[in-house]
Formats: sequence, C-alpha cells, structure tokens
Amino acid sequence: MRIPITLLTGYLGAGKTTIINALLAQNPDRRMAVLVNDFGAVNIDASLIASRDGDTVRLTNGCVCCSIEDDLGTALDALAKSPHPPEHVLLEASGVADPQRIARHAGHWPGFELDAIVTAADCETVRERAADKFVGHLVESQIRAADIIALTKSDLVAPGDAESTTRWLHSLNDDALVTDAPHGRVELALLLGPRPGRPSPPAMPDQPHDAFRTMHWVPQHPVDTEKLSRLLSEMPRAVHRVKGFFVDARTGQMTLLQQVGRRFRFSAAPKTAAPGLVLIASGPDMDLARYHLAFESCQSTVPSERV
Amino acid sequence: MSEITVYTARKIRTMNPSMPEATAVAVRDGRIVEAGSLETLKPWLDAYPHKVDTRFEKHVLMPGFIDPHLHPSLGAILLPCHFITAMTWHLPDRVSPPVTSHEDYVARLREIETSMADPDELLLTWGYHKIWHGIVDRTVLNDISATRPIIVWQRSFHEVIANDAAIDWMKLDRAELERHPQIDLASGRFFETGLAVATKSMNPYLFAPERFGKGLELVKKAIHFGGHTTIGELAYPLINDELEWDILANTIEQDDVPFRMRLVPRGAGPGETDKAVERVNGFQSRKTHRLSFGNGVKLFSDGGFFAELMQMQPPGFIDGHHGEWMTAPERLEALARAFWNEGKQIHVHCTGDMGLELALAILEKLQFERPRFNHRFTIEHFGASTPEQARRIKDLGAIVSANVYYLHELGEAYWRQSIGYERASQMARLGTLESLGVTTALHSDFTMAPALPLNSAWVAVNRLSESGTVLAPEERISLDSAMRAITIDAAYMLGMEDEIGSIRAGKMADFTVLEADPWETAPEDLKDIPIWGTVFEGEPFPLGER
Repeated sequence: MRIPITLLTGYLGAGKTTIINALLAQNPDRRMAVLVNDFGAVNIDASLIASRDGDTVRLTNGCVCCSIEDDLGTALDALAKSPHPPEHVLLEASGVADPQRIARHAGHWPGFELDAIVTAADCETVRERAADKFVGHLVESQIRAADIIALTKSDLVAPGDAESTTRWLHSLNDDALVTDAPHGRVELALLLGPRPGRPSPPAMPDQPHDAFRTMHWVPQHPVDTEKLSRLLSEMPRAVHRVKGFFVDARTGQMTLLQQVGRRFRFSAAPKTAAPGLVLIASGPDMDLARYHLAFESCQSTVPSERV
Repeated sequence: MSEITVYTARKIRTMNPSMPEATAVAVRDGRIVEAGSLETLKPWLDAYPHKVDTRFEKHVLMPGFIDPHLHPSLGAILLPCHFITAMTWHLPDRVSPPVTSHEDYVARLREIETSMADPDELLLTWGYHKIWHGIVDRTVLNDISATRPIIVWQRSFHEVIANDAAIDWMKLDRAELERHPQIDLASGRFFETGLAVATKSMNPYLFAPERFGKGLELVKKAIHFGGHTTIGELAYPLINDELEWDILANTIEQDDVPFRMRLVPRGAGPGETDKAVERVNGFQSRKTHRLSFGNGVKLFSDGGFFAELMQMQPPGFIDGHHGEWMTAPERLEALARAFWNEGKQIHVHCTGDMGLELALAILEKLQFERPRFNHRFTIEHFGASTPEQARRIKDLGAIVSANVYYLHELGEAYWRQSIGYERASQMARLGTLESLGVTTALHSDFTMAPALPLNSAWVAVNRLSESGTVLAPEERISLDSAMRAITIDAAYMLGMEDEIGSIRAGKMADFTVLEADPWETAPEDLKDIPIWGTVFEGEPFPLGER
C-alpha cells in the first residue's frame, strides 16, 4: 500500500507552521512524518524531542519532522527507505507553490499517494492577499485546490468576519470544507483522515471540533462499487471524509476507499484487511443515520431482514 | 619583476573611450603597462627590458570577453550529451549542425546509435523540439533500438522521452509509472512532475564523477572557445557548496585554464534573513587566484523563460496559464532589504514583466527607505518588459544583464503560441535601454544560450529570429553598445571594471584575439568572426584545432 500524503498549502503567514506545531503536540494516532520547508520556523516542544540529527528530528511519539533540503523526491525516497516508514506524511508546500502541481508531484511519487489538500487561510488577510496584484492569483489557486480549508486567526477578527470570510471562500470553492483552526488546531481525523480498520474514538466533548460526528459502518456483504460511487459523488458538503475497506462485489477484491470532500478513489487493499468504513461529518446525528442507510443500500446483497 | 612583453596587432579595440584604438600593448606580470603604439610606449620600453611579440600582426585585439551570467555546473551535465539541435551549436569538440525535420532527426539519432560501441550504453541526446522534429515517441525510439536505452531530452529540459529499454533501465515499477498523470508510458513521455521521477533514475548517471568531470573539461573548453577570459557564476552553489567548491577549485584553478570566475552566491536559504546575510558574507573571504566572490548576491523573482513560467502582467498568456514566483514576493522584499542595507549589489532574476514589476517595486521602496548611489541593482535576464519599466530602471539607478538570445530562439515561437507578436517581438528591450543610457550587459545563462559573446552581440545588433525575421528593429542596439555589453559593461555588472573589461594601463592583460575587426564586419556576420584564441593575464592561449 502507498503512503498517503496530506498536502498543507497556503500563502506566507497563513498559519501552516502553527498547524504543524499543533499537530505534533496533539500526539497523532499514527506514525507521522512531517516534511517542512524551513526547519527554523517549526518550534517543537523540547519535551517531545527524542533525538535530532541534522535535518531530522525524531519525536518521542514516533513521529519524525524533516526539512525538504533540495528536492522533494529525495526526501520522500528517504522516508520510504527508512527502517520504520511513516504511515502518513504531512507535506508543507512552499508558500508560492502551485498546489495542483505539488499535489501531482508528491501524490504520484512512487510509493506515495495524495490523501488531501489542506489550505491554510488567514482570516485577517486572505481576502486582501487574494486581491494583490502579485500574489492574488496564487492565493486564489490555493483556495480553489483545497479539499479542506483551515481558517486561522479567526479569534483575532471582529464577530461576523469569520462567517463572511467563510462565505467568500465558498464562493471560490464550494466543495471544500471550511473549518476553524484556533491556534492551528485541526481535528486529527479531519486533517489526516480516520485510521481505516481501527475505528478511532469519537471526538472528545471538550475538543474544539465537537461539532464533528463520526459514523462507523461495517458492510456485511460485498459492495457494488457503481452504487457506492454514485452515493459518494452525491454526498452533501457536510460529509468531509470517508475511509475504509470493503469487498468489491464485482471482483471479490478487498478494496480501500478514501474520500475527501467530493474527491474519492478506490485502490487495491490487502486481503487481510477487515471490512469497515469510517465517515466524518458535521451536522445533526440524524443525518448520520441517513448516511448509514444509504451505505447499506450499496451492498450487492441487501440483508433480507432489513428490507 | 619580469620582462615587458609588447604585443603588436593590426588593431587594438581598447573599449576605453578616451583612446578607442591602439596598435601595441605592453604587458608585465599579467597586467597591462600601457596601450598605444610602439612610439607612445617608448618611455616604458626605454626604461625596462622588453621583447616585442608580433604574432598578432594580422589580428584584432579586444579586451577579453566577459559573460557575467552562466552556470558551469549545468553545462557540465549537458555537454557530454549527444546534441541534435534545430539551431547550429558550435561546441569546442564538435559542431551540432541544424537538424530541422523529423526524418533528419531520426536519421541522425540512428547514426549515433550505430556509432556507439557498447550495445548497452545509454544514449542520451539533447535538443529535441517538437516544432522542428515532429513526434518522436517511444515507438520511434524502439524502432531505432529495441535493446539500447535511448533517452531524448527536450530542448527546454522539461521533458524526456524514453524507449522501452530506457524505461527498463530506469528500474522503476511500471505500475507506479502508469498511474502518473504526467507520465505517458504509451508515448514514453515523462514531463513536468513526471520528469522528476525519470530524473531520479538519471541522476546517478548524470552526476557520476567521471561523466561530470568530463563535462567540466568540456565547459572549460567551451568558455575558452567563446573567447571569454572572465565569467560570472550567478547562483552559487547549484546544490552543494562543499562538493562544488572542491570540484571548481580543482578544475578551474589550473595553470592551463585561461579564465577567471566571479561567483555570486544565492541569497535565499533556510532561516531568517539575518542568517542569509551572514551566510552570504561568509563567502566573501574565500578566494583563489581564479575564483573569487565579490559583493554580489543573487535573488530570484519569477519562473523560467524557456519553461514559460515567467510572470506576465495582463493580458498574460494566450492559453491563460500563469507563471510562478521563485520566491514569495514578501520574502524577496525582506531578503532584498537585508542585503540592500548591508550594502550588497543585488542581482535579481526577472523574466516576465510582472517579475520585473515586483523587482522595481521593491527597489523603489528600498530607495525611499535608504537611498543608495552606485548600488548596481541588476535586472538579470530581462525577458518581457514595458517601455515604462525601462524608464523606471533608469530612474532608480538599476542596470541590466540581458539574455538577448531569448529573442532569437523563442521570439517567433512565443509570438505564435505564447504571448502574441507585440510583446514577443519586444522581448529584450535593449534599444530603449540604450537610448536611456542604462548600463547593459549581455549574457548567455549557458546552457540556456550558447556561451558565445559574439553570438549574443549579433542578436542584440540584428534582432533576427530563428527564421530570419527582424523582430522590433527599433530595439536593435549599436555595435558599440553591443561590444561594451560583452566587455566593459559586463565587467561593471560583476563589480570588476577596475580590473578587466577594457585595455588600459593597470588592468589585467586579458585579450580576445579576433581574425577580423567587428567594426569592419557586416553586422549580420558578427557571429561568424573567427576567434584565434585569448590572452589571459599576459599569456597567449590559442584555440588550436577543433
């Protein structure tokens, strides 16, 4: 299986580094590698650092943080070849990178695949930046490319500004989830996706994103991928991520589904994987029940007792 | 103190406006004692032992040519390739004749393939361009050889095409290649981000010490061949300082090398701007006889010109794509400010008119905050511009080092396919700079253009496109300006005008020895003036047989 890459993009000062710092402090539930452009800016809590070797910092929680020295491909190869390859990579794009281009580059590097594009947008300055004669187009293209937009510094603006900025962001990219990222904090399952096969506990009530709901669905039967594709492409915007394994009814193969926003893909998975999908959405609980029913209907043989 | 050597010549074009012509030049210990005639040199010759060397009696001497912007390391990678090019490339060890049709391209490639002794050796060729050579794909290459790996490297370096043997040679998982949106296995094309995947396999071959060393020897020859005695390496290091300094010090600092090199370090790097300043200052004390760092620093505004990634002001590109920033504008400004306040000469890579606009907007701020005279803020490349920007360059005291060859090779292609006639024909707006009195140099950015100063001067004077059309004749410059741009004004770009760039008492005894006088040659023949060789610090270095 390929290592998923979450691409973190956003213009200079949009809060990418703050998001990375918050992620590393959150104790990720998987072995992460964070690739950053400039090491100096990432301020890792000294108590988390296990060792430091040139451009690589190992954390006590098993994560590594490396700077992309000269070349992204070289950095990715080094990760893939390490004794304990990461389970997930968070890649910080340079502030001036065309996100689509770097997503193609990283997401198709041998052994890796794109998980999602997360764009950091600074609530205070993003609209001004988008009107700038030099970088306006770039800032817009970063917003348009996003699956998830992390709205930073919303605590620093007047009430109502965050809402109007969110509306403006949606006018550029209607498909993306716009989520608040106070002090750079983005719900882990949202930023990296749920761990397939190992249902993550539902969001703790004291977490800032308690508006997010998690739904687990374990298919009892093989799934009709055509029906599933139709369902996934019609999902409301409130569904942010779906990830997990199922058996493809047509081929009998264990299959991995990964969906972020409106973008989803199927890939071959090891036979040993346990069927089970995790869905992350915002909105009322009753919607989750609706999604559950909809997924059930994608099974090629609907269990008779539920008809 | 050594004996004085007097070189006499049919004519010496001194590029010193106070005494533009001479017939003899006295040299001692690598420096010029005096230029003039045997008669005017008499007080010196009476006072010291001397010999008169008449070998240049039929030749014309000029100050040693200077290319203030090229990249020897890139050249070292490229020159060992087999060239098949649409334009003529004069190289020190061969001439790559123009190949302008698909049939001729395939025939030439087949000829190279047949000539190679080892049947498994990689055939790497450079210079392919679809406009001239049509579709060259995996099938065409397989037909030339089913067993030898063949890789075709496109003219602008942004694409390679491989046959099946080469795809196997890359030792990559075909399934991984198949899913890549910018790799097309059917046609064998690896482009943009897909190229990076191919490059990963090619790098160990390209940078193998033996090949790289051979490449640097060819670069040395190419620089001599162009008649240069000084070059500027305008973004040091390419990748790795320690390694590159070691290689340069070992290959350039040799008695048989007839040129010196001024290195301009990259300004951007990890960390805060004060770290960048510290790092750049750290280079300044490093010096050998031929290698030196001056007061310069290199920054980057927008993307590459050959790659069409320059940032264009509205109306932009015909196909609607956008260029890219090499440095975030705020970061560029912060770096420029730090180096400006440090008293550095800032060189900024600018290719599109929006890239230039950014550089000028920053310079304007810096001049307001802390005015400087003689700062020599240099616009490097100067692809697309507006007349109003040219005037601001003048007003702000900036200078220009231009890659005028863009106009010759890309003028028509960009006119028809990229930005339209008006802006394409006016790229490298040198006539306007000349009339404004902006100090201007010409460079090759080798390997972007041939490292041949007379060729660059020829483009600047004639503005002929590859098919022979004159593009924006109003922007042609005088021969005087063009020759200054490869001598004294190029020295000025590098901050070395006290030492080199003209023939006058006290300067280094660097000469380019020509078989004909540029001022007595038809402008359209300028590039074809044969070069006998050079004199570097008083010592003659003939080009010899090719």
